[in-house]
Amino acid sequence: MYFYTLLLAVCVIVAIFLTPLRHKVWVATGAVALSAIGAITLAIMAFANGPVTLAEFHSPLFGNETIVVDKLTSLFLVIISVASITTTIYSKGYVGGYFNRFSPAHISLHYSSLVVLVVSMMMVVMSSGGFSFLFWWELMTIASFLLILFEADRQDVRRAAINYLVMMHIGFIFLVIGFVLLYNVTGSANFSAIVDYFKMEAPLPLFVILFIGFGMKAGLFPMHVWLPEAHPAAPSHVSAIMSGVMIKTGVYGIMRLMQSIDQNTELLFDIGLIVLLSGIITGLWGVILAAMQNDIKRLLAYSSIENIGVILIGLGIAAVGHAAGSDLIGMCGLCGALLHTVNHSLFKTMLFLSAGNIYSRLHTTTMNQMGGLAKYMPVTAILMLMATMAICALPPFNGFVSELLIYIGMFNGVSDGHEVLYSVAGIIALSLIGGIAVLAFTKLYGVVFLGSPRSHHVAESSEVDNIRIGAMAIPAMFILFIGLFPQFAIRPITMVAEAISGADKAIAINHFAPTLEALSGVCWVLISIVLLLFALKHRLQSERTIAQGPTWGCGFTAPNIRMQYTGESFSEGLENIGKPLIKDKVDGRAVDKGEIFPSPHNYQVEHKDKMDSLFSLWWMKVMHRINEWVMRLRTGRVNNYITFALVFFIVVLILTIVGIL
Amino acid sequence: MLVKLLNTLLMVVVALSITGVINRTRALLAGRKGIRFLQHIYNVNLLLRKGAVYSTTTTALFRIAPVVYLGATLLAFLFIPIADLEPLLSFHGDIVFVAYLLALSRVAIVLAAMDTGSSFEGMGAAREALYGALVEPALMMGMATLALFCGYSSFADIFATAQELNMNLTIVLLLVAYVFVVIMIIEAGRVPVDDPKTHLELTMIHEVMCLDYSGVDMALIHIAGWLKNAIFAIIAANAVAVAFSFHWWFAAPLAILATGIAIGVVESFRARNKLSRNATFILTIVAMSALVLLTGFLLIQNIEI
Repeated sequence: MYFYTLLLAVCVIVAIFLTPLRHKVWVATGAVALSAIGAITLAIMAFANGPVTLAEFHSPLFGNETIVVDKLTSLFLVIISVASITTTIYSKGYVGGYFNRFSPAHISLHYSSLVVLVVSMMMVVMSSGGFSFLFWWELMTIASFLLILFEADRQDVRRAAINYLVMMHIGFIFLVIGFVLLYNVTGSANFSAIVDYFKMEAPLPLFVILFIGFGMKAGLFPMHVWLPEAHPAAPSHVSAIMSGVMIKTGVYGIMRLMQSIDQNTELLFDIGLIVLLSGIITGLWGVILAAMQNDIKRLLAYSSIENIGVILIGLGIAAVGHAAGSDLIGMCGLCGALLHTVNHSLFKTMLFLSAGNIYSRLHTTTMNQMGGLAKYMPVTAILMLMATMAICALPPFNGFVSELLIYIGMFNGVSDGHEVLYSVAGIIALSLIGGIAVLAFTKLYGVVFLGSPRSHHVAESSEVDNIRIGAMAIPAMFILFIGLFPQFAIRPITMVAEAISGADKAIAINHFAPTLEALSGVCWVLISIVLLLFALKHRLQSERTIAQGPTWGCGFTAPNIRMQYTGESFSEGLENIGKPLIKDKVDGRAVDKGEIFPSPHNYQVEHKDKMDSLFSLWWMKVMHRINEWVMRLRTGRVNNYITFALVFFIVVLILTIVGIL
Repeated sequence: MLVKLLNTLLMVVVALSITGVINRTRALLAGRKGIRFLQHIYNVNLLLRKGAVYSTTTTALFRIAPVVYLGATLLAFLFIPIADLEPLLSFHGDIVFVAYLLALSRVAIVLAAMDTGSSFEGMGAAREALYGALVEPALMMGMATLALFCGYSSFADIFATAQELNMNLTIVLLLVAYVFVVIMIIEAGRVPVDDPKTHLELTMIHEVMCLDYSGVDMALIHIAGWLKNAIFAIIAANAVAVAFSFHWWFAAPLAILATGIAIGVVESFRARNKLSRNATFILTIVAMSALVLLTGFLLIQNIEI
């Protein structure tokens, strides 16, 4: 089975290499679309009739394997399918701009990696665990590494890609250790064996090892540092698929882990606490750093970290709730987390693709060189506004529905007296995350799309082609559907939640259904109130003179566009509070307060994450120190080297006499 | 149905009169004759009959924003009950919905301010976004305290339940009311966080975002401001009503008088904060709401401190 899948992938790759330059994208799209259709069919079957056993076979490398598509797998298959179709179609316009810069082989490699990434992500969620899971996981890492390397002639891209590869392998080592431990104890490395392991051995160490391994992919604090480096380097559609779905495979792993621990409530409580705490820290860290970034894609990358935090808060609350004996809280948190996984894949894909539209026109992702893009790229502006509101969890879009479910779970915890303190911690964190996310995204949207252009490139830009817009419309439709009809969207989610937690989904449905129906109703009320008010305003203004003029400058007669609020000034207030989290990298010098007639200055500041040093700086320093010490031995004198050899022999001799060697 | 209409009607009365009470209190304390009680309504009525000037920098978003601002606030307004009366709309979990509707209205006005490309309005937008973000936890914790005491998570249920409360919890509820009054001051941009009277100064927040609005748009923004004030004033009054098991005929006048007079008095005797102190001021309220919640939790659990 695996062999045939790989063979098929190789056939597709050969086909991509053989087709003419302009048609390569269609081969890739065809392959992705076929696998997506297959995956969605399987998912529908699994949702309708329960788990589908796709294949049972013996593979020479991994032993006996079964591929079963259950409900959790189906949910992720759907997410992967939607995002990969969207991004592959989108890539036509985006990669088209590079045809004269790169050789056809380079383009082919890119599309091949895209296909391999999609297939490997699907196989990751389908394989039942064990070493085959690790195989596909590794293939996914390598494919995404090649995808990040697309613009390999840029040095920062190469550095980010290598950084990504190293970080992913640190995580991979943890996963290997975890699965080997599992195999040693139970004789099987499948996910289903984790249940047995937890009964036989102390469960917490294995959980933590696997949690770190999956967390590296998901971007958990403090292992998130690869995300803000990799995303600005990767092409936008690759960022979209990586941030939208690939990091979710880490969340998938964590969900699989939690699926294995129902019975042991004390353990579930501990694990819930770990997950909740890391969710809170990840979410807050991500969102505060996001609000300080001045690069679109770095901001979006940090926002992905924040959303992973929100998902984990939901999961943590669910576990704590289940452990406390409240299935209601458990179902609320779990459904919220699952729905947020879906939602985030939709709006984050859209946001990164919008960033791609901007990059393909302006060739930069620095926010402070933009401004007023809404006039020149109106459709992108509307789509981006929608995604922005969805990610800020504003009604009537989808982000609100999932956060509402998590909130309901926590408020239930508070009002029923179950684990009040944890619920309150979650409420505080989630509301602060929500508030700062609004700050981050109004900054992003306001500085990029609104106001006056800050560079002449903006005024020369135009809307992108219809294929890209069409691709972005796919997630847009889902965003609106989940936002306006949450009562239908929640049904498959409750089925998945039931499969994970073992609690009865009727609890969830009885509890949510009236709320979500009411929510759908009031969202329509909101839309109609806004439309009515707009009509009213139109009527009131119809008989009056509507004039146009310059922006009111408060009496100042010579305002210019450089006086606009920049992204840096927009988040200045937050920077004063969040200073301990960042390390500024300053180029040039700011205007001194004493300068009455300022001379020209060049000032650029980049807010770097303090956690960067956790993975780069300290072990570099340690290595340097060891190196320095070793270098002292290299004196260049032959007599010293002979002494070293003599010392070595003496040591060997002594050890032999003592009997150690 | 009749009860719901009565509730909405009372809400509208509260919304319309708070600003009047504030103005009259300030005038009385300053020894001025002052403006009429209904002057703010006449002003808005005048604005509604005016034309408008739109900046050439702006996009369609600028014209839609006031409508969304008012629309979202209006919908939030319809969820609020006066003490034990029934609100027009209600569902389980609506306290979260109301908080996010207010966030929606904030996003609309912040984006509109950024749309003008003016440095003044950008400044106001940045401050509003930051203070809005910081005040969110205080709002949620205030609501969580109410949910903790009353055992529900919709406004209608929280305030409709008859409470058997002792003195300790009454004090906690009074503190919750205080927290909501301060949140109202922050959200409405009154002294000491912001001063609505300092037009065209560099030091303000809310007023500066609306510099480019005129005529009908300005009227819509004013109306939304009244509704927003009413929402917080009534929640604060409701907390007091719950504390003493009072009914709506007590809560409605309390909402108008207590908040109106309190804000009027504060504005007469206090100066506005230095802007750099505002974040500290808001975080203090967040900390206080956390403390109130914790105290309430300990009291409910009968844990002796």
